[in-house]
Amino acid sequence: MYGFGVQSRHPTPGSQTSLREANRARIVESLKRHGHLTQVELAGATGLSAATISNIVKELSGVGVVNTAATSRSGRRAVEVTLARRQGLVAGLHISKRHLRVAISDVDRTVVAENHLPLASDHRYDREMDRAALLIGDMVEALDATMSDVLVLGMALPHPVDPLTGIISTPGLMRGWDGIAIADAMSERIQLPVVVDTEANLGGLAELRSGAARGVTSGLYIRVGYSIGGSLLINGNPYRGGSGRGGEVGHVVIDPHGSLCACGNRGCLEVFAGGRAMLELFRDDPGIHRLRDLLLRAEAGDSVVRRAIADAGRHIGSAAAIVSTVFDPELVVIGGELAEAGEILLAPLRHELERATIGATAPTVVTGTLGDRAVVLGCLAAAIDNVAAEWKPQLR
Amino acid sequence: MTSTEFDTGRETNEAQIRTEEEPMSETSPAAPQSTVQPLVSMSRISKNFGAVRALTGVDLEVYPGEVVALVGDNGAGKSTLVKILAGVFKPDAGTISFSGSPVTIGSTSEAHQLGVATVFQDLALCDNLDVVSNLWLGRELNVRGVLDHVGMETRSWALLRELSARIPSVRVRVATLSGGQRQTVAIARSLIGEPSVVILDEPTAALGVAAAAEVLNLIERLRERGLGVILISHNISDVQAVSDRIVVLRLGRNNGHFRTDDVTNEVVISAITGASDYTR
Repeated sequence: MYGFGVQSRHPTPGSQTSLREANRARIVESLKRHGHLTQVELAGATGLSAATISNIVKELSGVGVVNTAATSRSGRRAVEVTLARRQGLVAGLHISKRHLRVAISDVDRTVVAENHLPLASDHRYDREMDRAALLIGDMVEALDATMSDVLVLGMALPHPVDPLTGIISTPGLMRGWDGIAIADAMSERIQLPVVVDTEANLGGLAELRSGAARGVTSGLYIRVGYSIGGSLLINGNPYRGGSGRGGEVGHVVIDPHGSLCACGNRGCLEVFAGGRAMLELFRDDPGIHRLRDLLLRAEAGDSVVRRAIADAGRHIGSAAAIVSTVFDPELVVIGGELAEAGEILLAPLRHELERATIGATAPTVVTGTLGDRAVVLGCLAAAIDNVAAEWKPQLR
Repeated sequence: MTSTEFDTGRETNEAQIRTEEEPMSETSPAAPQSTVQPLVSMSRISKNFGAVRALTGVDLEVYPGEVVALVGDNGAGKSTLVKILAGVFKPDAGTISFSGSPVTIGSTSEAHQLGVATVFQDLALCDNLDVVSNLWLGRELNVRGVLDHVGMETRSWALLRELSARIPSVRVRVATLSGGQRQTVAIARSLIGEPSVVILDEPTAALGVAAAAEVLNLIERLRERGLGVILISHNISDVQAVSDRIVVLRLGRNNGHFRTDDVTNEVVISAITGASDYTR
């Protein structure tokens, strides 16, 4: 993250240097959360001593990571610290089935602010867009910037948006967002150019740029959460297809006699392994309402939950095998909420993929390295790409 | 792909589903339900104020690690019900049990001892005191009769960090904090006594978007800590975002009891207004 020679490349674990590096990271994290803090407040927020804070802040401001300014708190002199940023900001907005995540970064990819909130399972476009616009406005203000400093908003939705009409390609998957020209409606609220894509494409983009799929020329990204999405990563970019629906692994039919799916087909992968289907198995259990509860139970060793996750992995594996046979990726990256289950999900997935893919070697299967932030980082990356495309002459 | 391939696919799928369901029906109803019992169970609660029948035979259960939303119109009896649980009122009829054993809650301090913490709408914070003093008010730590300022401050930071609270400093007066930060302090304050059930009365009312987001995230943290949370709110989309079950009250009676995942806004609102009758 910091390529400015503050520290040596590889500090020995447990050494003074690595401790110092961890402390630096804590300070930067706190600043991201709060926008700006005085040194005294930083001490409280990080738990580090005032002397350590003062030293590290001096060091970080020396190399231009943070800015300091004299201010006063409760009548006393204080030093206010903010993260330094380059001219120009971009915003990322990830609207998932149950979560809204926002991040703001500068055009050099340094994330300077992040926030998230839980969403109702049946959310509507108007309320969430209004909320997101206000939230982004608040966050920009906390950075001592104005909305005119923000250049582009990158936005992710769980389902594909038709590139021609700008509305969700498959009606019925997200009832509260159907029939709306997404980018236009958001752009009207936030007064910015808006780029929209699926969460799978943008999660895949982030993994390509800075995660598990770096340097991969043909990869498959599968996002397993409350819904299942996928993305074909070809030559460094997600491939979207004709109507934006390219790579939608969640709607590969794995059983033509299975139950009905919201997309209008029968027996899609999502009906077997999507978050809703998994939670439906445990509807009589008062302790399981979210995917997070499932993960905690699995971690605690609940064999029924582990079995349900393993079965989901097997189903995803058989859909991935169909895609792999057609597309022959070298790497499959699994992201999304359920990816946190790790090998409980991945081992049966891999097994099924190996069983049903053509040829002797199946693609390698790994979990994404960016966790639940992957998609919002992808939103930022897409926004920066758009800045580069449209605004570069003005910026540089 | 040929149809035979699909058919074999279908068979394995069905086999998998069957094996999924078999252990489910054998173990899952027995395992969780024998170990997990409601933290609090209020049943057939009635309360009259003179001629006004505020509550008539109302039921409410809260399990550990669960957020139960209590919704209803003004005067539906939501506040009366939680005030009975908080020990402010005594019920005229009905039973309250904690972890399966029946109790009587005679006063607010008894409720506190049972592990019920309440954050009222007005927050009841002292504006002229700083965050630490507010958190520990009435329960100050002391070392041999002297206030343990350092201990209280470090434990305050530990608690606020655990809740991922966005409070820049614990030594600022509460009057200078934003609405969301004040709500956070009030909720953190309720956690000092290590409660098992937290009652939140309209925690997002009158808050801006960022502040409301902070409170919603905080409710998720409480849930992850294994607390039972009773959330009173008029904001149906906030309720649907954080709750696991929704209990609707109308004119002092239960009018519906839903799993949040199963219902839409429209169903909840029609239950609140009485357009649909879900009385049992």
